Amino acid sequence: MEIFILGFFAIGYLILAGADIGVGMLLPYLGRDLGERREVIAAIAPFFLGNEVWLVATGGVLAGLFPHVEGELMGGPGFLAVVGLLTAWIVRDMGLWLRGRVPGARWQAFWDGAIVAGSWGLALAWGTLLSGLLLNISWPAAILPALAVAALFGTHGLAFASLRLTGTLRDRARVLSPGDGELRTYALTAGALATIGILAGSGLHLEAANAWLTPVILVLIPFLVGSQAWVWWTFRHRVTGPSYL
Amino acid sequence: MDTVELARLQFALTAGAHFLFVALTLGLATLVAVIQTRATLTRSPVHMRMTRFWGQLYIINYAMGIVTGIVMEFQFGLSWSGLTDFAGNVFGASLAIETLVAFFIESTFLGLWIFGWNRLNRWAHLALIWVVTLTAYASAFWILITNGFLQNPVGYRMTGGVMELADFGALVANPAALVAFGHVLGGAMVVGGFFMAGVSAYHLRRRTTEQDFFRKSLRIGVAVALPATLFTAIFGGLGFETLQPAKAAVWSGSAENMARAQADMVARFGPGDYLPPIGWVQGAGMTMMILFAVMLFFSAASFLFMLIRPVVRGFRLWHWMLTLMIPVPFVTMIAGWIFREMGRQPWAVYGLLKTSDAVSPVSAGQMLTSLIVFTSLFGVLILLNYWLLARQARRGPDAAALGAVEQAPVVQPALTF
Repeated sequence: MEIFILGFFAIGYLILAGADIGVGMLLPYLGRDLGERREVIAAIAPFFLGNEVWLVATGGVLAGLFPHVEGELMGGPGFLAVVGLLTAWIVRDMGLWLRGRVPGARWQAFWDGAIVAGSWGLALAWGTLLSGLLLNISWPAAILPALAVAALFGTHGLAFASLRLTGTLRDRARVLSPGDGELRTYALTAGALATIGILAGSGLHLEAANAWLTPVILVLIPFLVGSQAWVWWTFRHRVTGPSYL
Repeated sequence: MDTVELARLQFALTAGAHFLFVALTLGLATLVAVIQTRATLTRSPVHMRMTRFWGQLYIINYAMGIVTGIVMEFQFGLSWSGLTDFAGNVFGASLAIETLVAFFIESTFLGLWIFGWNRLNRWAHLALIWVVTLTAYASAFWILITNGFLQNPVGYRMTGGVMELADFGALVANPAALVAFGHVLGGAMVVGGFFMAGVSAYHLRRRTTEQDFFRKSLRIGVAVALPATLFTAIFGGLGFETLQPAKAAVWSGSAENMARAQADMVARFGPGDYLPPIGWVQGAGMTMMILFAVMLFFSAASFLFMLIRPVVRGFRLWHWMLTLMIPVPFVTMIAGWIFREMGRQPWAVYGLLKTSDAVSPVSAGQMLTSLIVFTSLFGVLILLNYWLLARQARRGPDAAALGAVEQAPVVQPALTF
């Protein structure tokens, strides 16, 4: 059951945040000028804050139920990959929050660059971490599987963007989903991300602690999913213009 | 420097940077929630504009703060795997509850509050900011339960050299945690109150057009700052009752007390230096106390001034001073944390695990890399945050993008040559 909880949050993160990371990676392709890019960002804007907390929750579950795994994962061979992941995360989020704070093309183009670089950094750091767990390899041998994982994030982002955008922007995002196949593509890429997550997790030596915490978390999960479902429901329609960011 | 010192410096800078954001987030969230309640109940346009303006400043700060919080959460696994190995069964549980009960809900609902403006029912929208505020408190609570456990370990038993949670009630009722929670909440309200008063005073001094808006805001800020300062001081006073013997001895400054504390620890734990760094503990403690006195006198005088309308409108020297006071509560808070944390040394878990035994088995080079990366990023974040806050504050309520009616982008007419 503890392993199910860990997997639930980790895979939830990969599928949900994988989409906003993928959109960020392909921002220059999806949006060709500042206005278009702002609209592309509006596709992920209401979600990314709620998506990234799935990883925060994964960290919390690791700390609470698998404290020894947490130290083993991060405080050892994975140290630099986790530092890279956090750095990319900060850069990407700074880009998202800051680009609209000050008018001016150069300011916005700079933070668009931060979004793209941070998103690629996130995808590659995940690729490195996952291939380290899956194949037990590290840099530089991990670069190929890391790139493959990054490509998967990108494809997943395209599918999500095509579900959220309209017009020309949607057509660009549909490049890999001919016809109206965007939902199918999204389901496929989500399934692939989940599979990689499960396979990587199965290589961990998971010894659970704090058995009393498990029912507490199980009771919490419906409330957490419910709060997220409110967000998904509120922003279920396609984006037709810029948002707050 | 070796790995332990680098890891300590990194943790101190991460936690310190994070707390600069946290303090303002907690304080402003509460004030924004109260103002939005008023706006929702009375449909008063000025209070709705106040919600949007102060809410915009709150979000600028929150967005920069959340990324420092993420690094903070992962610090334990990254730098202190010895601590998670030894005590993870106990304090990992409170960290897990913090992420699930507080952080997760806070961020999800904050996103809904920001992006759902003008889309949601106004009562639902009001409920969101209250949930965000209360989960921010819950977050502070569970973090201080965790920190309180490191300061004063309770509710555990030792099984084969590793801690296990024996009594959840004792963990949650830890006086070292509860007193600190009251102290931190009060401190955050001091930060928020002084911030609101200082920004409002800037506009009143500049005689900008928003007289009514900022007179109301200034009154809220000052009316919060004085009682919050007193409230914080009461919990601070109680906190002195929960000091560890070595910290108390160093704070007292008496050589005799320090020698006795050192001798007691040697008798219990064997030879070693068990006194925390004297200069840091005394310097930080004194800074906190002196700045508390400054804030108390200043907020008491301000409380009287704010009752007289011509003074609120025209006493420019006071306006100047209110604005200049904005950083003081931040500095006091950081000094308080240095006092608390430096005073715990050389222990990571007081009396049970030394800081030098808590560090991860990573090389000094790796730790230095992460230290440089995080410190530079946080430096940039802090500078950008205060620059953006100042810029947004100066530009006034009309420039607040939060809750603005969504407009189509301005299309630039194509140039024809």
